[in-house]
Amino acid sequence: MDALVLCLLLSAYPLGCPGLTPPAQLPQPHNLPPAPGSNGSHRSLSVDLPMALRVFSVDYHHVQAPFEIVLWIMLASLAKLGFHWSGRVPAVVPESCLLIMVGLLVGGVIYGVRHSAPPTLSAEAFFLFLLPPIVLDAGYFLPGRLFFENLGTILWYAVLGTLWNVLGIGVSLYGVCLLAHSSLGDVSLLHCLLFGSLIAAVDPVAVLSVFQEMHVNEQLHILVFGESLLNDAVTVVLYKLFESFLRLPSVSGLDVLLGGCRVVVVGLGGLFVGLFFGLVAALTSRFTSRAQVIAPLFVFLYSYLSYLTSEMLHLSGIMAIVTCAVTMKQYVEANVSERSNTSIQYFLKMWSSVSETLIFIFLGVSTIQDVHMWSWPFVCSTLLLCLVWRATGVLLLTAVVNKLRRNAVTFRDQFIIAYGGLRGAICFSLVFLIDDFPKKRLFITTTIVVILFTVFVQGMTIKPLVELLDVKRKKRALPTVSEEIHSRLIDHLLAGIEDVVGYWGQHYWKDKFEQFNKKYLRRFLIREERQARSSILRVYQELERREQRGDEEAPPLVDPRSNSRPLLPEEMDSIRRILSRNLHNFNKRQTPAYSRHTLHQDATMDRTRKPLHRHQSLGDRYTYNTITHWPQVEDVEFNGSHKLRAGLSRSHTVCSISPRHVLQDTSAPVSTAQTAPADPRSSSATADQVSPQHQTPGGRGPKKQLSFDLESEKK
Amino acid sequence: MGSSSSRLDRVPGAKDLMEETGFSETNILCLYDRFEVLDREERGYLRLEDFEAIQQLAVNPIGDRIIGAFVFPGRETLDFPSFVRVLAHFRPTDTTWSRSGSQPEPANSRTRKLRFAFSLYDQDGDGKISRAELTEMLQAMLGMQVTDEQLQSIVGRAIQEADLDRDGAISFDEFKKMAASGQTGLKSVSSIMYRTKQQQQQQQYICGEGGTEQVHLKHSCQTLMFIFC
Repeated sequence: MDALVLCLLLSAYPLGCPGLTPPAQLPQPHNLPPAPGSNGSHRSLSVDLPMALRVFSVDYHHVQAPFEIVLWIMLASLAKLGFHWSGRVPAVVPESCLLIMVGLLVGGVIYGVRHSAPPTLSAEAFFLFLLPPIVLDAGYFLPGRLFFENLGTILWYAVLGTLWNVLGIGVSLYGVCLLAHSSLGDVSLLHCLLFGSLIAAVDPVAVLSVFQEMHVNEQLHILVFGESLLNDAVTVVLYKLFESFLRLPSVSGLDVLLGGCRVVVVGLGGLFVGLFFGLVAALTSRFTSRAQVIAPLFVFLYSYLSYLTSEMLHLSGIMAIVTCAVTMKQYVEANVSERSNTSIQYFLKMWSSVSETLIFIFLGVSTIQDVHMWSWPFVCSTLLLCLVWRATGVLLLTAVVNKLRRNAVTFRDQFIIAYGGLRGAICFSLVFLIDDFPKKRLFITTTIVVILFTVFVQGMTIKPLVELLDVKRKKRALPTVSEEIHSRLIDHLLAGIEDVVGYWGQHYWKDKFEQFNKKYLRRFLIREERQARSSILRVYQELERREQRGDEEAPPLVDPRSNSRPLLPEEMDSIRRILSRNLHNFNKRQTPAYSRHTLHQDATMDRTRKPLHRHQSLGDRYTYNTITHWPQVEDVEFNGSHKLRAGLSRSHTVCSISPRHVLQDTSAPVSTAQTAPADPRSSSATADQVSPQHQTPGGRGPKKQLSFDLESEKK
Repeated sequence: MGSSSSRLDRVPGAKDLMEETGFSETNILCLYDRFEVLDREERGYLRLEDFEAIQQLAVNPIGDRIIGAFVFPGRETLDFPSFVRVLAHFRPTDTTWSRSGSQPEPANSRTRKLRFAFSLYDQDGDGKISRAELTEMLQAMLGMQVTDEQLQSIVGRAIQEADLDRDGAISFDEFKKMAASGQTGLKSVSSIMYRTKQQQQQQQYICGEGGTEQVHLKHSCQTLMFIFC
């Protein structure tokens, strides 16, 4: 593995990278000369005499730019492959660290060979090309219900926490500069504030890459992750604000006020841009039934367009793209075919993975430069202040927010939130964009040190610390069926009592939105025949699938006498899914940590294609909310169940394996033991595919949770 | 507060109710206001139709059972004290109360709460949750989502797990044991307290001064703390 990586490194070194712009702000601009290897473009190997026709020639210059880009991406991807094969290393060292180290190596090699700084990550390339795929991926797979439930807390941390950090770090750093007047005297308050604004921001890329390998409880995960996404608005605005203040001759109170308004405008503006493009994308996807192959393209195009538009308007691009993804997801998934859905998800994962890898590698490469300026007091105090201010900020904010939340954020969670505030490439790019001033190099160096410190030290130690502190992990012990039923009952009971007493609870707005969604948005944005999936349809598909799978594999035979054995995870899985489909669940659901590298619906996707296309025409049926429809639904359901029986009998006669005998007397305990094992795999397949469309009464059921259930049970 | 004590006089038997159920003055007042909102025709008592008019309750899977807990078939009407008594089950458990005291067990003790939940299952009141009752409950909660086989399978498992003396039905003691074990919703449900407590404090402020405007707001009364255990 290492040899492979080294080979690539060595092959990469002769190539310069003029495709990546060198940092223009460096005092000694390193205009990269075309690397020695590219001189070969001017010579061509020829077999014949110079004037005759050339049989064989090498024209590197022709393909230089794309060639080098591809080679960098290839390097990144092979490095990533290598890490996953290298045994125990990924368990201890997070991938981001390893990638940075590879980057450092490559950078060092390039430097050693050419004696000039290696190419560095240009801010433009980063913001325009590398960051959007990552954020889009994060937004698309965002666990929606959880996110919105915790939205208040997340906003609290993102906006107020970032403000606290920025102001705190900025002002304290200024104090340090005043104290160390001899060396740092020319750093003004505004410069410190500017620096504070870019260094205080928690970076979603870094956070994701570390958290994905940890299994913390999902609430914690969404808090840190959501915060890192949303604080972009605040960060960018503050950064631009301070930058413009720096250019102004003087700063008045009015400017500060206007700056405050800007934060709001930027955040909300990004949101609305994202909403707009999300809805347009959803509408477009409605008409893609005849050209299914290009359906995924619309998702990417519209998202990227929203990002670019908001960047053009100086709004928050990250907010726009996340909003766009969240908005269009449910409609797009309902409108496009299964294969398109899979393509979308796979491409998202792929692009974000490549982006992330490239970012980290370039972070490493860019560290090797000539332009470092070191200052012990500044660097050390920055590190210290970052930690201190974040910790105090989290503590204070949590103390306030715990009074308002239903699930308190425990002390251990707070520690992880504070400690998991990793800085990453966003800080790095922003620092390069600063207008030139004498101490700029110092800022660059400090930023690099902070990033490396947080990613390496904090990234590596967070996992052992989590284990040490015994952060409330996702519970591995699964509740029994009766407990499940009972807890659902309690949820319903409480909701009912709340209604009696007139207490809104958090469901009120959610219910309102769901009603609006159902009445208007879904009708408008989703194709006609896809609007509601009957559960009968689902069960039918399940049986179809069972039938198909019976030809491929034999489910294990179940001993009919063993009906009192403990439940298999798959059975519980299916039962739990059935229960949770309709029922609101206050409990902390078990979901896997967000993963850059896997799709949760992996195992089931390919199986679901065939039956789905056959049975799209089965009748629609609305669930609870439209009770008035029940009379006419009866016959549809009857037809459905009629087909159900037909399907059953087919499976009954075709295969002789005992678990299939679903038509037998269902009240006998014997058959229940047999049908149960066959249920989970098929129902798990259906649930994941159909879950997005299923509307539960009053929006109480967790829609998105279903797709995560499978993964949690399997783990 | 001077104003609230005069308002308390509006509520019949408020002081006794407060003592019996442990609700505070504000709570009683707000409950009374809610009672008046529900009692559209101002009869002084609630009937089945008033409960059925609560929109969200109609879509609740166990809505009819909840209504049944308030207005059960034997009684036609529900007056305010009975309304409060049922809701007293949902107060947070007093940790100070001990079983050996001479007072009768308060409505919000753990056992009484569980009894209340049990009664939702046990519609015919024979003290046991039979298989049929559990099936009915599950059917109500799951609607038309599942086939009969799946339903039976789930019910079978549930009974199997909870039924310790193997008589095919779940008695109250088995129910208690089941609720006590494991990490059911009972514990995490207690987190509702945090939110409602905050709203209660808000409401206290509003309730304290001329609370008639609340009646105009449709769902304005948010006072009770709902912990189930």
